[in-house]
Amino acid sequence: MGADAGASTATAALVAHGLSKRFRKKVALDSVDLSVPAGSITALVGPNGAGKTTLIRVCMAFERPNAGRVEVDGVDPWRHRSEALRRVGYVPQAPAVYRGLSVEDHLAMARSLHSGFDADYARRRLDQLGIPLDQRADTLSGGQGAQLGLAIALGTRAKVLLLDEPLANLDPLARREFIQVLLDAVRSEGSTALLSSHIVTDVEDACDRLAILGGGKVRLDCPLEEARRTHRLTDADSPPPGATAVGSFLGKGGQKVMTLWRLAAAGADGSDGQSAAPETTSLEDVVLGYLAAGRGTAGLQFN
Amino acid sequence: MIARIWLTFKQHRFETIAITVVCVVLTAAALIEAYRLSSLNVPISCFNGRYESSGIGTPTYSAGAHCQALVDSFMGLQSGLPMNLVRPMLLLAPLLAGIVLGAPLVAREIEQGTAPLSWALSGSRRRWLLGKVLAGVVLLVPLMLAVGLAAEVLEGALDPGVDTHAAFQNYLGRGSFDLFWALAAFAGTVTLGTLFGRTMPALIVAFVVCVFVRVAWDPGMARIVLRPMAVEQTGSNQQFGVFYGGGPGIIGVTIEPTPLIEPTPLPEPSGSLGSPEPSGSPAPDGSASDVTAFTPFWVQIDLYSYTQVFLDGKPFYGDPYSLPGYQMQFDANGNLIQSDPSTMPNWVDYAIPGSQYWLVVALESGLLLLGSLFCAAVAFVWVDRRRPY
Repeated sequence: MGADAGASTATAALVAHGLSKRFRKKVALDSVDLSVPAGSITALVGPNGAGKTTLIRVCMAFERPNAGRVEVDGVDPWRHRSEALRRVGYVPQAPAVYRGLSVEDHLAMARSLHSGFDADYARRRLDQLGIPLDQRADTLSGGQGAQLGLAIALGTRAKVLLLDEPLANLDPLARREFIQVLLDAVRSEGSTALLSSHIVTDVEDACDRLAILGGGKVRLDCPLEEARRTHRLTDADSPPPGATAVGSFLGKGGQKVMTLWRLAAAGADGSDGQSAAPETTSLEDVVLGYLAAGRGTAGLQFN
Repeated sequence: MIARIWLTFKQHRFETIAITVVCVVLTAAALIEAYRLSSLNVPISCFNGRYESSGIGTPTYSAGAHCQALVDSFMGLQSGLPMNLVRPMLLLAPLLAGIVLGAPLVAREIEQGTAPLSWALSGSRRRWLLGKVLAGVVLLVPLMLAVGLAAEVLEGALDPGVDTHAAFQNYLGRGSFDLFWALAAFAGTVTLGTLFGRTMPALIVAFVVCVFVRVAWDPGMARIVLRPMAVEQTGSNQQFGVFYGGGPGIIGVTIEPTPLIEPTPLPEPSGSLGSPEPSGSPAPDGSASDVTAFTPFWVQIDLYSYTQVFLDGKPFYGDPYSLPGYQMQFDANGNLIQSDPSTMPNWVDYAIPGSQYWLVVALESGLLLLGSLFCAAVAFVWVDRRRPY
């Protein structure tokens, strides 16, 4: 599925080729091929343990891959760490703030560590959100802490933003605010973002591209619209013509096993896949279908 | 870099404030104690007195009642509670300061999850670590120099008449050594923190290692660094004899002895009995102006001295008493068979004279500095390789 990337390597901000990472016997990434086009916001979706965090950590040179390679804006982070990290803004999984330091201190620290850090830009963003600069960072709410992390990442003016489940611990309102700030920044700066999450609804409105990671493999990598358009959810007995079963899972209400189908490519049966199926499938169903396939639950009977 | 150093202080404000307060209080306490001792103005000649008793009545002090009062006051301060608190603290402070400041420097960042944030911002982790290490050095240098200077002043007050820069008593616990101990402890603990990624284990292991190194330093130096071939020394060579109950009987001097460990004779205060031969005339009132005319006896015994056993011309580090020559052997008539002196080890007392003080200080502090740099190098290499969590 990784071959579906649809983005050429030449215009990709982040590329992974045959990337593998093992932790003792556990395979975290298994020959991952992924291409994130420049200027896109890509949702990296998968269940816990799918390898999302590992993939981002490899991109940050926190982990050394066992095989394959990754390039961030054309630079291999493991071989040229300084150069690669200068091009990346990173928001870690949990809001990592220094206890006892104020918000302003965090910006000062970022400025002292990153020569290109735009503290005024970060300060303006925090001002807009009403986050007091003199407040101790460890007394910020979860949402404010995440916004501080995002402001620091944006302040680097990096071409590529890597966000490792920044929404996981936020309430719905804070999640919406976070995504809005991210969208504004990415659109105005023309940067690229890879946003990992296991909450599909969070990323549905923000992202224009979807990469599903399951069991260390890329299950799907395509534009969001294409993912909705080329999949159908029906019960197992009524497949769309020429469609291939992806995975089956228990439908809403828990009464019926539903199957996700991947529609045939345009021209295979005389249709273009779009006209045969004017309605689209929800992103959540697409993700669930691929995750079910990854867990090997396709075809399971629940009654 | 200045901003980074300042932020590191803010980040570790508890450790920074605690170390600063302890060092300032300790420095003040040491100086106060030194002042209390010095203000007694005890003439050197008074220390040569002794209590004598005819068996009836109160013993009298051979150097006179005035001296007795002064020396008693001096000894009272020397063994008082404040001194017993200040002196051990002066020894421990450099190690504790280095350990307390060094343990959380990297380890806490890893524990609290802030390392990924910093390492993502700073392309070079080594530069990031350099900023933090510099902050530690900037804090430790003035504080430890102050503590070391205070310890030096206190040592001078405790041993009046002694040139503390030509005598080895407690030389590892005063002056610039305090700084070098602190830097070594700091560098070692930063390294442990970087390796472990946990503050408390780094703190505990560093404390154990530092105490071990501090205790083992003296004998280690004597055997490895300050051997006669490295530092000019004086020595007297004696040969062990068979153990006759009280101690090794010296049965012969095999080389020309250089008896520099002999105590310098002190002037005998008027009216005293049994004192060593005088080398000068004491002032009748034992006034302070005559201090330089006398050499106090402890200058000699505080020479950096140690014993080395040689067997067949080579250093012998085992237990000389376990050698066959030491076993008493008797003939059929029960007479003791004398051991052959040529098969017995030589026992050489070495002493480094005070004129070598700065050489010894340079050698040993250089070694501590090398150790610090080595530890720091390990930390700088490892921080580049380790995971930030």
